[in-house]
Amino acid sequence: MTRYLLRRLVELVPTALVIIAASFALVRLAPGSPFSSEKEIPPEIRQQLEAKYGFDRPLPEQFVRYVGNLLRGDLGLSTKYPQRTVNEIIAAGFPVTLSLAAVALVWSLLVGITAGIIGAVRQNTAWDHAAMTTALVGISVPSFVLGPLLVLVVSLRLHLLPPAGWGDWRHLILPGLTLGTIYAASIARLTRGGMLEVIRSDFIRTARAKGLSERLVIWRHMLRGGLLPVVSYLGPAIASMLTGSVVVEKIFNVPGIGPYFVDAAFNRDYFLVMGIVLLYAFFLLLLNLVVDVLYGLLDPRIDYS
Amino acid sequence: MRKLQRGLSETFRTAGRSIVLLMLVAAGGCGDANSPYVGTVRPRHGPNELWINNSSEPEWLDPSRCSDSTGGEIIWNTFEGLVQAHPETLEPLPAIANSWQVSDDGRRYTFFLRPSQWSDGQPLTAHDFVFSFRRLVDPQTASKYASNGFIFTGGAEIARGEASPDSLGVRAVDELTLEVELVDPLPYFLNFLSFYSFMPIPRHLLADLDRRGIDTDLWTRPEHVVCNGPFRMTEWQFRQRMVFAKNPRYWDAASVKLDRVRLAMVESATTALNMYTAGEFDWPGGNTSLPAEFLDHLSGYQDFHQHPYLAVYFYWINTQEPPLDDPLVRRALSLAVDREALVKHVTRGGQIASADLVPTGLAGYEGLGRPVHDPDAARRLLAEAGYPGGKGLPPVTVSFNTSEGHRQVAEALQAMWQQELGIEVELANQEWKVFLANAEQMNFQLCRMGWIGDYADPYTFLELLTSDCGNNHSNWSSPEYDRLLAEANRQADPAARLALLRQAEALALAEQPLIPLYVYTRSQLIKPYVRGIWGNHQDRHPWKYIWIDEAFAAQGGPMPSRRTFAPDILSFTHSTETSRRHPGCVQFPTPLDWHGPAPHPLPSPVARRQEMSP
Repeated sequence: MTRYLLRRLVELVPTALVIIAASFALVRLAPGSPFSSEKEIPPEIRQQLEAKYGFDRPLPEQFVRYVGNLLRGDLGLSTKYPQRTVNEIIAAGFPVTLSLAAVALVWSLLVGITAGIIGAVRQNTAWDHAAMTTALVGISVPSFVLGPLLVLVVSLRLHLLPPAGWGDWRHLILPGLTLGTIYAASIARLTRGGMLEVIRSDFIRTARAKGLSERLVIWRHMLRGGLLPVVSYLGPAIASMLTGSVVVEKIFNVPGIGPYFVDAAFNRDYFLVMGIVLLYAFFLLLLNLVVDVLYGLLDPRIDYS
Repeated sequence: MRKLQRGLSETFRTAGRSIVLLMLVAAGGCGDANSPYVGTVRPRHGPNELWINNSSEPEWLDPSRCSDSTGGEIIWNTFEGLVQAHPETLEPLPAIANSWQVSDDGRRYTFFLRPSQWSDGQPLTAHDFVFSFRRLVDPQTASKYASNGFIFTGGAEIARGEASPDSLGVRAVDELTLEVELVDPLPYFLNFLSFYSFMPIPRHLLADLDRRGIDTDLWTRPEHVVCNGPFRMTEWQFRQRMVFAKNPRYWDAASVKLDRVRLAMVESATTALNMYTAGEFDWPGGNTSLPAEFLDHLSGYQDFHQHPYLAVYFYWINTQEPPLDDPLVRRALSLAVDREALVKHVTRGGQIASADLVPTGLAGYEGLGRPVHDPDAARRLLAEAGYPGGKGLPPVTVSFNTSEGHRQVAEALQAMWQQELGIEVELANQEWKVFLANAEQMNFQLCRMGWIGDYADPYTFLELLTSDCGNNHSNWSSPEYDRLLAEANRQADPAARLALLRQAEALALAEQPLIPLYVYTRSQLIKPYVRGIWGNHQDRHPWKYIWIDEAFAAQGGPMPSRRTFAPDILSFTHSTETSRRHPGCVQFPTPLDWHGPAPHPLPSPVARRQEMSP
């Protein structure tokens, strides 16, 4: 297990290098400049601006410099927010996105697993159909529909929660629900499917034959097997909750880092784009690793040694 | 120049908008069905507070470096320059300068400053202005708006690195006397001087930060900032909110009614509208636009206001590229556009159709009044150019930056040109930075553009077509045009100057290097309990005049009647003449309030004169 972990960690290094090089090249290949606007800037001033960020140097030199700074943990300066470093911007926004994803995750697991269990245990009953129909609707309704609908009903009609903004727990609920629902729906279907797969397997029959109570059979044996597909789904799901929060963060004006994905690229805010891409790449790689390790713990058939 | 193109993730916005539109229809309107207002009409905060939106995180709050309207909004309310703009007419009023004198040739101004303080109690002197103006053009500052300082003698040379910043034509005669030398006798100088680039800079603070080893770029952060305007920033949560408190050391603090202003940064127009409906905003603010699809619906409410805006929407023509190198073809294109139909059915925001580059009536300018639609003349011109009925004319490509609004305009033009002239038009939408790069490299045939006037004078638009203007994307240049503009700016007599400018505009538009389409409008929602906001064509609404009507807030009435605006709001004249005769004394009409009466008398000439006696 330790050897496996080490090997995986070593493999991360070339992957990361490829990501850095590729995103650096792509960002710089895009036409346009971070300093262009519809009003012309005098060429002398433009040179000063470019010199400040080092854009006046040859590209290979800039790349080497960037990687050097990266190793020291310095992600560079933003061109769109010239008084902020990319480190500062991420430090301000990432906890926000994380807390939003946390609410969404808790919500999706709570609702999804509960609905999935009900569906599996009461298979082909009204309970099952109700849960799965709801899940189908949940998967089909995109967040840019669900979000405004929640705002309309909860905020503008019932006056229960603020329509947008950030500050206290009340601002977390609507965006959290909006972001989490689509995953809750997927988790419900996956849990149900996973449990149905094991429900008729030999070890469940054995467990029942041993005289275990139905509750213990469900919780200890069926759920453990049934959750395997959910676990493998959770890695990419968490990653996409973090990256997919772009739309939700726009609708609810949440000051997370989601919108930078789009805006920083549009603004040609080179270092900010790079910083965000690298952050997400890091999380994706990390979550994949965690999922693989969790698999080994959950499924006795998988053995990494 | 404010960014005309804001919010680039148009996809999300459009999707969000259509959904909210559906919801509005389903819900039968915003808030209570029978209310004449959009959403709640009771403030969610105390009596001396204001909650507004500023749309997005500003780039700079440093007056020398700021180049966008979101930063400008904050600078205007936390700093005060030599003159301030009247909240309705925008005429220059005395501010830190008590009075001023103008030399006979109109190129030398002497400002007499009132004794005043920075927010930390340090005295504000003429040296702070000298420091600020030099810093604006100093290449070390790398200001995108350095060109604003080119009106001072030596400004352009300093920015090019050819002269030292000390050589700028700005001098402190003594602690409270400032002398300014201009390149040309610009009649709009005093109006322009209220622009945010010309605010004083607390050089003592910058020196102090430098001494303490703190990055001086961070001087506008609330933990450091020292200012001299009505409000001072006390909190800045990156991309969330800013909070401002009244500055007790502001020279006119007695006129400031609000104690606290909370500013949010909500980019999405629909989200801002939701927050206004729920009472999270008293006024979405000058930098927030209303979702275009809602304008029809919202215009029926009492708290909806609309006014013309000093900005022109037009299409650049690349005049070197055949077949558009022929002025006849270009003029035919312009005449074939039905601008009235365009503003009525496509843009639908009350815009003013205009075939001229300079809005009629601007600062006393008599517009050309060219026809906004004449398809017969257009067909004749096209035939004259050798393409009767559009035969033999290769397809023409129209570029615009990705946005639903720009696409709709482009599609309308496509249909009009196809129908009236038989010209085949292709549309090319491009992402903003790609679009800008193509415009800069003249890699287009026709491309859309908008231009917001920086000051109330025809020159702010006419400058676009001069040969050495970096913003001229037409490849058109005329020595005669350049000469007329230069001569106009040397002209000390305002009437003669305007006549020269008009002659220049006529000369340029006869060759049609661009196709003007309409003058912008701004649409706003303002809660009925908010008073002291006036509609003006530069969309500048100083917080210092704003107050909360507690009587309305408490009982939900009486309703203030709504004022609609005629396009003639653009017509006001410069007061250089009056101020020249009576230094420091400007004349302007009795202020009419747009949104309820002011709780205190607005600055009037008489009051000023008494105050101004030494």
